[in-house]
Order: sequence, then structure tokens, then C-alpha cells
Amino acid sequence: MTAAEATADQERLDYTRAAIEYAFDQGWTDGLPVVPVTRPMVEEFLMRTSRPADEVIAAVPHLNRECTVEQAAVNAALAGCRPEYFPVVLAAWESLGRERAVGGGGWQSTSGPAPLIIVNGLIRQELRINCTGGVLGPGFRANATIARAIGLVVRNVFGIRPHELEQATQGVPGRWTLCIGENEEESPWEPLATELGLPAGTDAVTATLLRTCEFVDNRNTRNPEELLADFADTISRTGAAIVPFSSAGLVLGVEHAQTLALGGFAKHDVQQWLYEHCVRSHEDLARAGKGLDGRTGPGIDEYGLHMLPSPEQVMIVVAGARNAAMSMVVRPFGFAGWSRSPAPVEGR
Amino acid sequence: MFRAMIDPTAGPTNRTRATVLANRKPDLRGSRVGLLANVKRNAEQFLDEVGVLLQQRGAVGVVRRKKLSITDPVPPDILSDLVSTCDVVVVGVGDCGSCSASAVADGLALEAAGIPAVVVCSDAFSVTADAMAALQGSPGYHYVVTPHPVAPLGPEELHQRAVAALPEIVATLTTGHPRVAE
Repeated sequence: MTAAEATADQERLDYTRAAIEYAFDQGWTDGLPVVPVTRPMVEEFLMRTSRPADEVIAAVPHLNRECTVEQAAVNAALAGCRPEYFPVVLAAWESLGRERAVGGGGWQSTSGPAPLIIVNGLIRQELRINCTGGVLGPGFRANATIARAIGLVVRNVFGIRPHELEQATQGVPGRWTLCIGENEEESPWEPLATELGLPAGTDAVTATLLRTCEFVDNRNTRNPEELLADFADTISRTGAAIVPFSSAGLVLGVEHAQTLALGGFAKHDVQQWLYEHCVRSHEDLARAGKGLDGRTGPGIDEYGLHMLPSPEQVMIVVAGARNAAMSMVVRPFGFAGWSRSPAPVEGR
Repeated sequence: MFRAMIDPTAGPTNRTRATVLANRKPDLRGSRVGLLANVKRNAEQFLDEVGVLLQQRGAVGVVRRKKLSITDPVPPDILSDLVSTCDVVVVGVGDCGSCSASAVADGLALEAAGIPAVVVCSDAFSVTADAMAALQGSPGYHYVVTPHPVAPLGPEELHQRAVAALPEIVATLTTGHPRVAE
């Protein structure tokens, strides 16, 4: 490189830096740098879908806001997505749209919930969506930017920003980073999207809002019921109970999933076992100031409260590496449960 | 510089104009008071306390209505019901991230329908209440603030809260309104 070329290169990089700073100054970012978006970039994204640019894909009616395909594309580009990720972003919005809280006040909630975006199908490999080691952590562009594309729409298109219309008390770690692939290759069970009704092998996204993830480390037992009892202890903690139920799902590590399957448990057996055993006594609830004050109804009996509203509300997905026996209890947001609605990714 | 950079933001789908406040009377004598509660804990109890106090100030009865969604605007049937049966309405309590914003939207909807209204929010949510007022085209909309939290209060504390808020509630529903009075 000649000295003149080096200078020109330096100037282009300086200009890029200034563009990124400009985006910060406009309030367009979630706190991390964004990619400057141009019209031709947006067109590259729009070419990846057959849907019209002006089609509304998400809305928050009480705030008088809508998001079109084009606005979703702009914010996906801004987030750092590659154009080929865009159909997954659109499918994530479709699945999220069936969650009641998403079109309601969920994004403004004091609990500050995070979208959990679960990808099934061969598209995981094509887009290099991580589904094995470190699946909930950083390091993979598709996982990181698809989730971020959702968050930037909430901020930029819906206008829901922290300290303004967004009223999260503490928020959730990784709020805009929770896009994961299911480790279908090492799961002993059918993929989540198949369980929920799509044809086997469909590229699909299943999404909901989460309040948090809590680890369960159990390398101690190969007895499925002992393992389930360990999950039940975390699921049943009173802190997660809200008028009166709590919600829970499992992002199972491969070893735990295989332990359960080898022990003869199908997914629905795991759901049923957890529903039956995640119980707290009236004394326990009262000790935490969460006594039911004579309330009656499904899930409440003389002894106490079934903490989960129903077996099928327990989401079960397998993700992570097959190198240690640990899993995450995840906590879907909201009182009404999650919609269990996968959305197919538009074909290529 | 950066004119080729696409702006990723979007404004409201429909531009909303400032709401013109309903005409007010000098006092509440002979008024029927609507109480529009949300499902947050203690909202109805707080409004009931306010209703009792307003009747001591000359109001002649209360109409209780409850909104089941904490985020959605007041349903049309409840709105028309309140408009046809009440002279003034108290809305509350805005004590969560979205219900505080929603309460402000409901107050403005009642004003637009010609009914003087007052919204009560807890002070932890004034930022989001203000943001909603601006979003609705009415920045600076006046609402009454009570200290956060409201949910864990006992009956006597709720009564005291209502007593403390009452002068401003009455002023806001009458010609004493900060935006109406000369």
C-alpha cells in the first residue's frame, strides 16, 4: 500500500467511525455501535422476502405504532444482520406476535422481558446459528444480531426506550441477545417446532418473552426423577410466583435431556412430572408474604399451590454442548402463559 | 454528512392532535362521579376512597367501572357508559409501566368525549405518563401524583392517600384545573 493509499484508507475509516458516532447521537442504538444503513443495503434485505415492503408485521396499537417489513429490514441491517438472516427475523416477529404481551404492554413492563427466539431446521447450519456450546452466550453473529434486530425495532420503530415508555425496574441480562438454535442433532426428542405442530424438518422460529434464566447444575445423578426433583426445586421457588402461579420452561443441556430420555421420559412425561411435583405449601407461600388468602381454583388444594398453570405450558428445548450436565430453567413472561406458536421461515 | 444513512426510527402511525379539555363547572355539587379502575392491586380501593370523599364534597353518586387490560385503551362500551352516566371521572391508579401510560390515554379519551377527568398515577411512573401524554399529542397533560407504591397499602393508608390527593383531584375536575383556570 502506498502512503497515499494508506491515507485514503485512514480517511474512509475515520468517516465510518463518524457515521457510527452520528447514529449514537441520533439515539438510534441500544448502547453498542450499529452498522450505518444505506438504501442499497435495505434493498438487499428486502430481496430475501416475497412480502411487500409496506406490509405491517408488528404493532403496538395503544402507542399508535406499527412496524413494516421495510422498517424491520432497516433495523436488522442496523443490528448487524446479514441479509440472509432477514427471513428468520420476520419469522421471529410472526411468532412473537402471537404472544399477547408483545402487542400489549410487554415491552414497557417493569419486568423488562427478553425475547427468546428458538430456531429449528437446517437453516441453523446454513446461517451458522449456534445451537451447541455457549448457545446462550456471545460469539455468533447470527444469534447475536437476529435477537438485536428485534430490540432495535422496539426502540426505533415503537419508540419504547429505557427511562421513557420502557419502565424496566432492573431489566434482564442479555435482553436483546437470546436467539438460539435447538440442538436437534443431539436431542433425544422431536424438535420444538415439530412438537408444536409444524411438519418435521420445517425451518421455523418459536419465540416468547422471558423474565430470566436460572442454571441447574446436576452432574450427580443419572436417575431421571432425582434430576427432575432438582429442576422442580428451582422452578418452585416463591420469588417467581406471581398472582399466584409462576411460569417455567427448560433449556435442557444434552446430557440432562439424554438422562431423561434414557430413563423413559418423553417430553410430555417431563412436563407432567414437573406440573405434579412443583408444589409449595400454603405455609411456604405465607412465609414469603404470598399466602393465597383463601383463594380457590385450579391448581390450589388443601396442601398448597401447583406453581405451574398447566403441564403443556412447560416449554422444553434442547440446546448446548454435550460436555457437562447443566441446564437452564427459563421463565416465560406474563400471566396468561405463552402461545406455543412456531412460525415457519419463508423458503429460499 | 450522512444524508445517505437511513433513519431507522418511525413516528406514530396517525398523528394525533392535542386534546381540548372538557368544560368544567366551579364545583362538584350534584355531579355523578365515574371511577375507572384498572386491575392493579388497590386501584379500586383507592378510587372507592376518593368516591366517598367526593360525595362528602357534594357529588351525588358514583359509577364504578373496571378495565381488565392494563395496557389497552378503555373499551368503547365502558367509555360510552361513563360518558352517558357521569359528569366527571376519576381514572387510576397508574402504578405500572404500561398502565400509567394507559391511564393517561383514558383521561384524554374522556376529555375528548366531553367529560372532565382526572388521572391518578404513582410518582414512580411520571416519566412514562408524560411520554404517553406527548405521544397522544398533549404534552404537559396534568395528572395527579401519589407516592409509589400503592399496592401494599392497608385500608387506613389508602384513606390517607385519598385525603392527601383530594384537593388536587377536585381542582382538576373543576375550574380549578391548572390548565383551565385563568
